[in-house]
Amino acid sequence: MRPDERDLDEEIRGHLAINIKERIDRGEDPASARRAALMEFGYMPAVRDEMRRVWYSRWYDHVAALARDIRFAVRSLARAKALTVTVVVTLALGIGANAAIFSVVRSVLLRPLVNREADRLIYIRQGALGLAIQNLTFSVPEINDFKSRATTIAAFGDFSTVSFTLIGFGREPRLVRAGVVNGSFFEVMGLRPILGRLLGPADDGPGASGAAVLTHRFWKDVLNSDPTVIGQTIRLGSTPATVVGVLEPSVPYPTETEIMSNMVTSPHHLGATMNTDRKHRMTDLFGRLAPGATVDAARAELSGLHASMLQEHPDAYSPQARIRLQVRTLQEQIASPARTILLVLMAAAAVVFIIACSNVANLILARSVRREAELAVRAALGAGRGALRRTLLAESLVLCAAGAGVGLFLAGPLVRVAGSYAARFSIRALESTVDAGVLWLGAGLALMAAVLLAYIPRLPSSDRSSGLGLTGGGVRITRGTNRRLRIFATTQIACAFVLLAAAGMLVTTLTALQTANTGYDLRHVLAIDLPDRLGPGLRDTSRGTVLQEVARRIGELPGVEGVAMGESVPWRDRSTTKLQFIAEGYQPANGEESPTGRLRYVSPQYFAVLGVPLLAGRDFTDHDRTSGEHVAIVNQSVAQRLFPNGDALNRRLTPTNLGTNLGSPETSRIVGIVADVDDDNVVQEPSMIVYYPLGHGGSRLFVRASEDPRMLIPSVSRTIREISADQAVERPATLEDIRTEVLAPERLNAFVFSALGGIALLIAVVGVAGVLAFSVSARTREFGVRLAVGSTPQDLRAGVLRDGVRTAAIGIAAGAAGGYVLARIAGGFFDYVQLPGALPLIVAAIVLIGAAIGASLVPAARASRVDVLQALRSE
Amino acid sequence: MAKTPDDPRLDLLQGTLDMLILRTLQWGPEHGHGIGQAIRTQSDDLLRVETGSLYPALHRLVKRGWLNAEWGVSEANQRAKYYRLTAAGKAQLLREQDRWSRLVHAIGRIMNPARADSGK
Repeated sequence: MRPDERDLDEEIRGHLAINIKERIDRGEDPASARRAALMEFGYMPAVRDEMRRVWYSRWYDHVAALARDIRFAVRSLARAKALTVTVVVTLALGIGANAAIFSVVRSVLLRPLVNREADRLIYIRQGALGLAIQNLTFSVPEINDFKSRATTIAAFGDFSTVSFTLIGFGREPRLVRAGVVNGSFFEVMGLRPILGRLLGPADDGPGASGAAVLTHRFWKDVLNSDPTVIGQTIRLGSTPATVVGVLEPSVPYPTETEIMSNMVTSPHHLGATMNTDRKHRMTDLFGRLAPGATVDAARAELSGLHASMLQEHPDAYSPQARIRLQVRTLQEQIASPARTILLVLMAAAAVVFIIACSNVANLILARSVRREAELAVRAALGAGRGALRRTLLAESLVLCAAGAGVGLFLAGPLVRVAGSYAARFSIRALESTVDAGVLWLGAGLALMAAVLLAYIPRLPSSDRSSGLGLTGGGVRITRGTNRRLRIFATTQIACAFVLLAAAGMLVTTLTALQTANTGYDLRHVLAIDLPDRLGPGLRDTSRGTVLQEVARRIGELPGVEGVAMGESVPWRDRSTTKLQFIAEGYQPANGEESPTGRLRYVSPQYFAVLGVPLLAGRDFTDHDRTSGEHVAIVNQSVAQRLFPNGDALNRRLTPTNLGTNLGSPETSRIVGIVADVDDDNVVQEPSMIVYYPLGHGGSRLFVRASEDPRMLIPSVSRTIREISADQAVERPATLEDIRTEVLAPERLNAFVFSALGGIALLIAVVGVAGVLAFSVSARTREFGVRLAVGSTPQDLRAGVLRDGVRTAAIGIAAGAAGGYVLARIAGGFFDYVQLPGALPLIVAAIVLIGAAIGASLVPAARASRVDVLQALRSE
Repeated sequence: MAKTPDDPRLDLLQGTLDMLILRTLQWGPEHGHGIGQAIRTQSDDLLRVETGSLYPALHRLVKRGWLNAEWGVSEANQRAKYYRLTAAGKAQLLREQDRWSRLVHAIGRIMNPARADSGK
């Protein structure tokens, strides 16, 4: 019903034809009839516009004109292939990087959880500031206090992280990460089953039968989504349990688990220690707000309850530990660790985008200078400024749309890389996908870039003094354009410098971490997890006997130099257990707290196997376990700090117990002093460690090998299985491997920033080269004159090189200044922002200057090859 | 075409073009050129409608539903768009005619009080 463009044209043509025919019929000659009809009709495009405007708004005209311009732009860009490809690739990198990082940011920080009414689901955390423990978790008596008194919480969900040896599903025994939950846990979490049922109140209490729910990931990845697992009976450690359901995909918190089971599956949860010891903390606590209650109200009430708990049970809350309660939504709890790193990444991606845009701006600016003659002709023929601007806009739109298209194509793989990177900080990053939101972002960025780019070049004006005109075929570069080109090139260098310096800093840090002396013998020690779901104080003697046999048999294997046991693998099992003690003969200064150190249980030979030198006294012996005398070994830090006179041996240490779930050691005599090692940090920080003899077998096995310890893995596992078929053998690795594994986040940080810095460097080099090449081609005449009056080609070449280096130097200075200001501003928000040392800065500067020289070589060579006669004749 | 002060042709009163078009089409479908010619001849050449006003007006009337437009072939064997009055258009014509005669009457009374009175 709406007439289209062709309809309107045809109606007008019909009108004219009829008019002409009538005139001819009246006797006019065809030519004059035609002329008269056209005269009578008036200005045809105006009439057509008027007709069109009845049906279409004014926007239509602009859009139609833009569409014409876009078709024109596509044709003219197809002729400038090198420029088009450079611009599209540059924009694609900028947009792709931003889209990828944005999609990770969104899935981690912004996307709601699948949990029903996630904004009413809270996570309650108890931290000990004095012990630097973020999350102490809760004991059952504490949880019972909350349950009986809180009114703002409709229901609490308990989750305690445990490890089970899972036997079932027709597979080998396998250590699974599991959660023991109470009957209201899933209701509080607001999660549904995708198969079978979840655990409910009927599964609570010691009388219920064992029941387990599988997480979606475990069911899908390990059990291949087998629906027949429902109803199967499995064994968790020694307890049988029936698989009752599979949980819907959801964010695992507090840890990634494979199975969640009810209380009866864990005998420990039914025991007296678990249920009566207020300091036996191992449960994460979730809550669902009561109707009408807010998070703030819940926080106020729970903090009040917690404060009165502290008063009622002073024995369980040491004032030095400074135990505090924190209440926030689960969503916030999950997102917070990743927030900083993601914001930093977003800033880095934005910098890359700025570089990409300024590089493209340069190329477009140079192109528009070449096109000035064309634009001037169009202006002279009556094209308004709007129309000219629209031509430029059409071109930049085409370029940016192509860039965005390729960028979003790149975004897919980039999202996967960035997602697995960010998963180190928040598990939710794995949900990152490219979807409509990301597409909109890409489109928005491209549009922003396009508009920006269209408004950068100067339009030819009618003012003749501007020096633009129809005369002269050559490219003229005006001072303003030149300045803009240089500003953009400098911006690129500055941004590239900031990114390179950041990357350099991270690489330096990583190198320092990787080469730091740890005090251990990294190459020759194999560490193996022999998981056991009970803590050291709760084991029975049979396991000790079994493990002694294991150690003896492994010690007899060829290539084994020593075997020892412990409870934690350096760096991997970061233990939060802190020991506060008083030392005989050491009087803390007034107001000073008792000394605090780490507590470690190790077997005899432990120090020899791990390569930690014994400085004085003796190692533990098998006799220490049975002799009845309590003994300890301390590290050098303890000896030097508490016994400066060098008389640490045979002094006594008495622990002043803090909230731990380990049986607290007795007063012990110091029998040995060992060198300092730091098993929490890869780079040693001085800290006090007290070692006690391990009771009945540990959960970590250390084997010292004469050759590559990895060769021993098959024979060691075989030996263990022969002795104890139910024993899971997990994660065998050398200490060196473990250090590498622990440093993975640092390595990834360094990698991501190096990649971004590399992209930035590449773009900046292209930018500098482009600007210089353009400036050389615009100065051909000047070079010709200079050659004619006696300059040598070498002078010209040196001049262009100087130009490149100067641009780089100014950019580096600007980047250093800007980066310093940025770091200061960021330092106001985050504690750990640090300025890079001199080395990364110098390296980044040298790299950039080198790159600038490289980029200048081709234009410089061209400048020195200018042919005098041709140059002078060209204008 | 600029008009000289002594050009006898008249400018159309604001808003009357639509009425004239509707009136012209009362006798049957006609194409744009024909409508223009009809207005011109019936006004003894005093009213000339510019194409720049005529065609947008035609399209406006189609859009309002007072006219139908369809392609046809003229007597001169030329494809042309023919406009036809719709039922709504006929009703509108009656309204406009009524409004117009009241307007003429009212203006006549002001401009020529004696004649108007005598007419009564």
